[in-house]
Amino acid sequence: MSTANLPTPQPAPIPPTGLGKTIGMFIIPLVLLAGVIALFFYTNGAGLQVEPAAPIEALTFERTVMRPGEIEFHVRNTGPEALTLAQVIINDSVWQFAANPSATLPRLGQATLTLRYPWVEAEMYAIKFFSSNAVPFETVIDVATTTATTTNRTLLSFTLIGLYVGVIPVFLGMFWLPALRRLGPRAMMFLMALTAGLLLFLGIDATSEALEQAREIGTPFQGIGLAGLGIVVTFLLLDAISRRQSTIGRKESDQRLAVAFMISIGIGLHNLGEGLAIGAAFSVGAAALGTFLVVGFILQNITEGLGIIAPVARDQPSLKNLLWMGLIGGGPAIIGAWIGGISYSQPLSVLFLAIGAGAVFEVAYEIGKLIQKDSTKHPRPVTIFAGVTAGMLLLYVTGLLIK
Amino acid sequence: MSVGLTRRNLLRVGTVSALGLAGAVALQAQSPVAAQDPTPTVPLAGHSGHSVGAMGIDMPGFMGEIDHTFNGFNPTDILTDFNYGDRVSTLENGQTLREYDFIAGDKDVEVAPGIFYPAWTYNGRIPGPTIRCTEGDHLRINFLNGSAHPHTMHFHGIHPAGMDGVYEVIQPGETFVYEFDAEPFGVHEYHCHVMPLAKHIAKGLYGAFIIDPKQGWPNQAGHELVMVMSGNDIDFDGVNDLYNVNFIPFHYDRHPIKVKVGALVRIFLVNMLEFDLINSFHLHANFFYWHPTGTNLTPSEYTDTIILGQAQRGMLEFTYRYPGKYMFHAHVTEFAELGWTGVIEVEA
Repeated sequence: MSTANLPTPQPAPIPPTGLGKTIGMFIIPLVLLAGVIALFFYTNGAGLQVEPAAPIEALTFERTVMRPGEIEFHVRNTGPEALTLAQVIINDSVWQFAANPSATLPRLGQATLTLRYPWVEAEMYAIKFFSSNAVPFETVIDVATTTATTTNRTLLSFTLIGLYVGVIPVFLGMFWLPALRRLGPRAMMFLMALTAGLLLFLGIDATSEALEQAREIGTPFQGIGLAGLGIVVTFLLLDAISRRQSTIGRKESDQRLAVAFMISIGIGLHNLGEGLAIGAAFSVGAAALGTFLVVGFILQNITEGLGIIAPVARDQPSLKNLLWMGLIGGGPAIIGAWIGGISYSQPLSVLFLAIGAGAVFEVAYEIGKLIQKDSTKHPRPVTIFAGVTAGMLLLYVTGLLIK
Repeated sequence: MSVGLTRRNLLRVGTVSALGLAGAVALQAQSPVAAQDPTPTVPLAGHSGHSVGAMGIDMPGFMGEIDHTFNGFNPTDILTDFNYGDRVSTLENGQTLREYDFIAGDKDVEVAPGIFYPAWTYNGRIPGPTIRCTEGDHLRINFLNGSAHPHTMHFHGIHPAGMDGVYEVIQPGETFVYEFDAEPFGVHEYHCHVMPLAKHIAKGLYGAFIIDPKQGWPNQAGHELVMVMSGNDIDFDGVNDLYNVNFIPFHYDRHPIKVKVGALVRIFLVNMLEFDLINSFHLHANFFYWHPTGTNLTPSEYTDTIILGQAQRGMLEFTYRYPGKYMFHAHVTEFAELGWTGVIEVEA
């Protein structure tokens, strides 16, 4: 038999498909899946003996509010089943608590637990709630202090915090623009690399912060996954926006302006997360926002303003554009401080920090592309190395002041 | 009414009702939250005894009530429940024979309102039955291990090696007869001696073993009370979460012990605390005569506070001169606020 006689294999004919048929074909595996799950429940684990010897319970302390003579815990049941809180011990003393709406929390349900307790300013308190299955849930108040209540006055102070740590430093940094104009191409390249270094450091820092907080939120919220989601999606979204803009044929100076705006958006998203963290810390009294700390933030964030204007230093950006860039970069710190101060939620905080990280990483990538473009004409690898290193070191050193 | 105000009122109701103030019911009815919540507010019944709290001070204590019927024993009854023998007879040599029946078992005990502890018990109660006899009596203890775990009975006293309840481990479903003469007179204890020892004791396998002197105690007592001090490690981490007298924390704080002015109170005090090295007993507004281990008719000390190591015990005698409510508690004060607090109510 000769192979030459064999007919050429034809692609299998595509069966004529109606929409209903397609949907049906998608649904069949789902129906089978439902059947398997039903079987699993019906046979009580299909021989796996999945009943645990002891109940698995988890409780997450999301927020602590302290008023004179009263401590309030906002908790969430992050275990697989409902749980009932039966007793509480505070600093080795069996105490009483009121639960609102109920001491029995459904899965992912929340409750407010209030103790009338004569706590003392600046002292430490260890609190242990016991579920009806004698599972202990512990939390610690490191330094007791009255929680700032949200009044007009604190709204104003949250605004001020945002101004100090976000808006003012960013604008201050932008005042370097006239000075940057005097720089030669090598110095400009150095400056761009420095900005990339700053952004990389900020991104690493925000990622670390997001991952740290991710471990504290309840298992069902999958903190690490949530952080990853925030970083990847933000990065890809900003990347898509920037690519779409660059396909519209424009002058190089316009593209540099676009990059500057991208940087300010990225830094703005980062400052939103930062403002959220500061606002939350302020409202729970965990961080004493001393003068020194605020000065530290101003020092660190002034470099952000520098980063925003670096791509347009050789151009003539309008005052209006500069104003917008500063507001976009610094303003979100105020919004973040409001959100953090008024309704702090740990999962939200993780998400915002991750979005900030993804944003600054993407912006560092944008600057990298600009540097790449300039390098094709005049390669300056040592300048790039020195710039990135200087940028990262700058934030490391200023970070020493505020951490 | 704002939400915050409601919550604060609710909290006040929770505390006040625990203190047993009349009128709290009305307050409770005002709070819409209280109606839907099973635990935070405490039922009023049986709380009239929270004396100090009634003066309007926030006091440590449980929310809610313990179901003693579910537990099958009530610490108030245990105070005065002396078992002189399930069967008493006289042997040919004239010796009194006291026979006791003991069954070890596994049982859930509500140690704090809403919290159930998987305990091990003698005759379904903690502490186990208080064995009371007279020096020189012959004791026969028929032990059946009805628990799913191996157990024994180890008596503090003088007896042959084979009756010591250490190496003769009794497996589930098996029996053993402990037989010996009651000596020396004093306040003693018995407990399971299967390893790990701390676990077998902390789970509830212990009780008081009182041997009266042949000639009786010199003073005529108006009230005789048994108090076995211990801890509750409810989450099994080898650290006591709560402390108690007769296994239920705060019981005598909620249900004061009533005695008469001028009547001699005799307390047989046993420390069966595990995991913590020392325990203590402090009596308010009074002094007591202390007989260490109860083995001497003459007291060794006239004091208001004594310290006891693990398994140490003794006898206290005192009389109250004035009526009123008097606290007694461990002067290891963190134990006091974790359950080892009681009230003696002296009535005219």
